[in-house]
Amino acid sequence: MIRILIVDDEKPICDLIDLNLSAAGYHCTSVQDGIAALDLIEEKTFDLILLDVMLPGVDGYDIMEYIRPLKIPVIFITARYEVRDRVKGLRLGADDYLVKPFDVVELVARVEAVLRRYHKADNTLSALDVVVDVDGRQVMKNGVPVVLTNKEFGLLVLFIRNKNVALFRETLYEQVWGGEYTGDSRTLDLHVQRLRKKLGWEHCLAAVYKVGYRLEVPG
Amino acid sequence: MRFSFKLLLWTLVVMAIAFGLGGAYFVNYVFETSMARETGQALEESSILRFAFETAALNAPAKYDVLPDRTIGQIAYNLAGGDGGRMLRILDEQGAVIYGSEGAEGDGRLVEQTDEEHNAYQVVRREERYLIQACMQVDVLDRTLYLETMRDVSEVFKERALGFTVYRRMTVVMLILGTFIMHGISSWLTRPIRLLTRATKRMAQGEYGYRARKVSSDELGQLTQDFNQMANALEENIGKLEEELRAREDFVGAFAHELKTPLTAIIGYADMLRSRRLDEEKSFLSANYIYTEGKRLEAMSFRLLEIIVTKRSQIQPRMIEAAYLFQYLQDMYANDRTMTFLFQCGDGKVWADPDLIRSVLMNLIDNACKASEPGGAVWISGQRLEGGYRFFVEDQGIGIPREEQDKITKAFYMVDKSRSRSRNGAGLGLALCAEILALHDSRLEIQSEVGQGTRMSFWLPDPKKDGL
Repeated sequence: MIRILIVDDEKPICDLIDLNLSAAGYHCTSVQDGIAALDLIEEKTFDLILLDVMLPGVDGYDIMEYIRPLKIPVIFITARYEVRDRVKGLRLGADDYLVKPFDVVELVARVEAVLRRYHKADNTLSALDVVVDVDGRQVMKNGVPVVLTNKEFGLLVLFIRNKNVALFRETLYEQVWGGEYTGDSRTLDLHVQRLRKKLGWEHCLAAVYKVGYRLEVPG
Repeated sequence: MRFSFKLLLWTLVVMAIAFGLGGAYFVNYVFETSMARETGQALEESSILRFAFETAALNAPAKYDVLPDRTIGQIAYNLAGGDGGRMLRILDEQGAVIYGSEGAEGDGRLVEQTDEEHNAYQVVRREERYLIQACMQVDVLDRTLYLETMRDVSEVFKERALGFTVYRRMTVVMLILGTFIMHGISSWLTRPIRLLTRATKRMAQGEYGYRARKVSSDELGQLTQDFNQMANALEENIGKLEEELRAREDFVGAFAHELKTPLTAIIGYADMLRSRRLDEEKSFLSANYIYTEGKRLEAMSFRLLEIIVTKRSQIQPRMIEAAYLFQYLQDMYANDRTMTFLFQCGDGKVWADPDLIRSVLMNLIDNACKASEPGGAVWISGQRLEGGYRFFVEDQGIGIPREEQDKITKAFYMVDKSRSRSRNGAGLGLALCAEILALHDSRLEIQSEVGQGTRMSFWLPDPKKDGL
């Protein structure tokens, strides 16, 4: 189980992150002020810390100074968007920097990326009868390799990471193709069709009316 | 070209011309005086010689009362003092030379210019020598003769040439000496300018605190002083502008932060609601967060709007009964059972815009409530004093640390963020109060002890008599 500490002075935001990361299979603890955060870090071990900069008690940069020798990966989550703030955060040893307001999908993706860099994440994903080796870029269905294109592979990883979540066309497009979604969804639809066919997922990769697609996994 | 160099150059030019002309005039004056003296002597000598000649001619034995050329030559030879003596010539009526001593030569021009009354003279140059040639008419017996004498004046010309040489040398020496002296003087004179230039350069490079040193008390010194005064004014203005800019940056930063936090929550929860199948508890939680954060945004935007409007508006103060304000507040908080409100109204009138002052008091009361534990007491009191009216709002809440006290009227500033957020504060209430009080020529005064409570007060002065 991967343990994540969320430090943000806003309870709604702590809850938001907590809910989403818990759904993605992480164990989360949230705390709303700097001093309590330091106490917790001393008490327990965490695999990742999500840290706000403006905190009551001790400010996020100071907490970062304290965390650095512990070699715990840190992602700053803050409303400060100026380059110098981001540079300061990264200089202090943060692994990533996320500016509010952020998309939940992006948050989950970044958390995974950082964990992967520290080899803490499990790099094999699985859903139903399909197993995906993210690093090796290999897909096995019932032990039989399936050949996927780059985009199809990207889509598959995104679906498996967000099981039972309706993924919007915009989100899918932005995450897999990169860049702004222009409203033309035919490319996306075509790739999903191909993916369904290759994996035999005609039923579980459901189209959600007016939204996009959802990978439906029972349980 | 540098100014001091220009000054030096022009001074040298003027000096050279002055020395040159003055020297030439002086040397020539001396020369001309000498020449006049020499000429006078030459003519005098001629007169003496004429007299001597005439005497000699009269005493000479003459046969027919006619003076023969031979006798004339003899007399002249004697007058000349023999060979190697005076240089003189005797010419006859036609200008033919009767006698000429050695070295005495010349043309007949002088003879033509001479008559009974006029003597003539001229300066002639012979090789390296200058001579004055003087000519006189001599009437002896029946003959009219001309006596020409020559006088050597080379010395005078030599003196003139020597005078010029000496003068030239002196001029050169004076100019060289003058160059050094003037260089010093022009450097000294232009020093304030150099110092000023350095100061402007330093200031242009951003060193606004640099000032030019005043080294003279003349016009340049005055200029330096004025420049420094201007620099002081500029520095002050720059400081003010920087302060304003920093305040604005802080405001924008704080605003962005305050805006982004509720937005993040709203976007995040809405996204969860639309893309996940959430159980009832979670979807209620999400919807509730969206609602409360939306409310927070609403409150914030209204407050901000209020501040902006207040900043731009003209207030319309009038004399109102303080009791009227207190009555309104009492009615307003009458239904609030969570806190105890104690009103104590001092009689008298207040010079104020009632709506705005009510808003200030309500903000202060709300803050007092937020700082206090539920069930705590808030005192609202007023006091009529000489020249104005003073309001107090007191609580026994958590208090404000001393170092935070002057920051709390800044927009978005919150002493305890999590506490005030949980009570729907945006950190704008006191900023609004400060704006309103500024319109009333007043300001918020804060007395507070951490853990003991806070006393906020403000003074509303009566209108100035002459202003009405």
